[in-house]
Amino acid sequence: MFGDEIAGFIESPVMQIIGSSNAARRPEIGRAMGAWISTGSDTIDLVTSAWQWPETVANLRENGRIAVTFARPSDYVSYQLKGQATIRPAEPGEVERSSQYIVAIVSTQMRLGMLPELIMPVLSNRDPMLITMCVASVFVQTPGSRAGERIWSTTP
Amino acid sequence: MTPTPIRLTLADLEACFEGVIPSIISTADADGLPNISYLSHVALVDDRHVALSNQFFAKTAANIRLNPHAMLLLVDARNSAQYRLELVFAHTLEAGSLFEHVALQIDASSAQVGMAGIMKLRNLDVFRVVSIEAIPSQVLTAELPQSKRNRLIGAARIAEAIAAETDADGIIDAMLEGLRTEFGFEHGLLLQLYEERNQLITIGSMGYVPSGIGSDIPVDEGVIGAAAAGGRLVKLSDMSRIRRFGAAVRGSSADENRTRAIPLPGMADAMSQIAVPLVAAGSVRGVLFLESRDRIAFTSDDEAALSMIARQAAMALALSEKLSLETEPQRSVPAHPATSEKTVQVVHHRFDDSVFIDGDYVIKGVAGRLLASMLEQHQQSGRLEFTNREIRLDAALKLPDFKDNLETRLLLLRRRLEEKRLPIRLTRLGRGRIGLLIEGRLRLSKDVV
Repeated sequence: MFGDEIAGFIESPVMQIIGSSNAARRPEIGRAMGAWISTGSDTIDLVTSAWQWPETVANLRENGRIAVTFARPSDYVSYQLKGQATIRPAEPGEVERSSQYIVAIVSTQMRLGMLPELIMPVLSNRDPMLITMCVASVFVQTPGSRAGERIWSTTP
Repeated sequence: MTPTPIRLTLADLEACFEGVIPSIISTADADGLPNISYLSHVALVDDRHVALSNQFFAKTAANIRLNPHAMLLLVDARNSAQYRLELVFAHTLEAGSLFEHVALQIDASSAQVGMAGIMKLRNLDVFRVVSIEAIPSQVLTAELPQSKRNRLIGAARIAEAIAAETDADGIIDAMLEGLRTEFGFEHGLLLQLYEERNQLITIGSMGYVPSGIGSDIPVDEGVIGAAAAGGRLVKLSDMSRIRRFGAAVRGSSADENRTRAIPLPGMADAMSQIAVPLVAAGSVRGVLFLESRDRIAFTSDDEAALSMIARQAAMALALSEKLSLETEPQRSVPAHPATSEKTVQVVHHRFDDSVFIDGDYVIKGVAGRLLASMLEQHQQSGRLEFTNREIRLDAALKLPDFKDNLETRLLLLRRRLEEKRLPIRLTRLGRGRIGLLIEGRLRLSKDVV
């Protein structure tokens, strides 16, 4: 799979946004609340809230097409991962990991000067679902000349 | 559990367009493969359209041409409430008023986050908004502040106060005082554009100590320079994450004497800034600048009101300049015999026209030359009264780059002398007439370095 650098990045306190689409190719937006490399596997796991993002959950159930962008709040360094996903209700250990992510991202944003009352409303893992994503390609998305560059792929 | 849906309009989402919290766009290609990215700027076009800046996300731009559906997530900068907007791509803009407004905002805000030039706006994609839906939040979003006092009434009161004044002093004071009492803004500057030097010079100041009267900045620098160069309003609504270059340098008198430059005053912890160009007869005359420690201190209503006030002030200042050349009938001026026997030492440095009084830096450039000229005439003939008309004629003869704005240059000189509590002062003796006060015996020397 992709290297340790990307793996470390997605597990660090970065913002996580999910793109999906329905059968009519209508795009959808959701947020992920925690991501990590699946144990002993070449997939990644992400938690999302079915309460905040029901359309995203429905799309992933329907066709599994997924794009996830990870963005570091301090310097806008961003990567987009594309691939195929499956989705199921999250288990307690996974919810716990997601909650740890929420604590970490709130701390990170507070260190950047954001007020906690402005950070919390966008974060939720209510009705938690676990997305397991098989990554097909990784793109740089940091604003700048390299934006859009593909840096890793399962196909040449 | 599901809250009763409230029909939302784009107008309800005003604070989502402040560029404070990044927006998100999702698109899909012809095969339905999604793409998701953050967006630097989303602008409100009208009540049914939004425009997105798409500087480097080629994939988003390509996708919407293959599949015009897009989803946009906006976040309210005041309380972080999230909204999901279903969009359909309408058309692309590469020029025009909206394009220029957005380009200028992007330049100003990206320069301040250390990304100058990287965020160059190439085009704006305009989308029709199909639906708007609020995303539920697990925590209560903060209650929104009550809407401000009626800006139209406030603007009318300030315009009325400006219109009642006859000279630059009164116009500037009426505007700044009005902005404080009517709008509650406490920190502001008025800068005049001096085209011949490509500079903006502070001629009015509110809320700063020292006032910074006489300080200058190059056109193009920061939000003030950007507003002057572009002739458009520039606003920053949340500077909490802005990397600060050259942290506020608080200039002391000693520094002024060494650098011969007056520091531009500023709030080290400002969260919001707005720069509004003063435009009259089709050209930029100066910039009104306001800042605040509050996030999103300046709303779109403020933008509209401040634009009207700035234009009114620009016209009034231009007219007062013309009127100042008509001299009012002479008033009897009490003679001012030297009240002190103390020597007042004035040095005029010809190379930059800087003037120092008793070792303190006063001013340089055209204003310095004007002061030196009046003092020279006083030394030769004992004169203590001058008219704008003759000063202007004198200046035009001696200063090839002198264009206009005599009234405001004299005002800046007068305010600077007052603020420095110097033994030489200028007084207004009525329209177009200036008095010179010297507390002591003048000794003027010229340094012809």
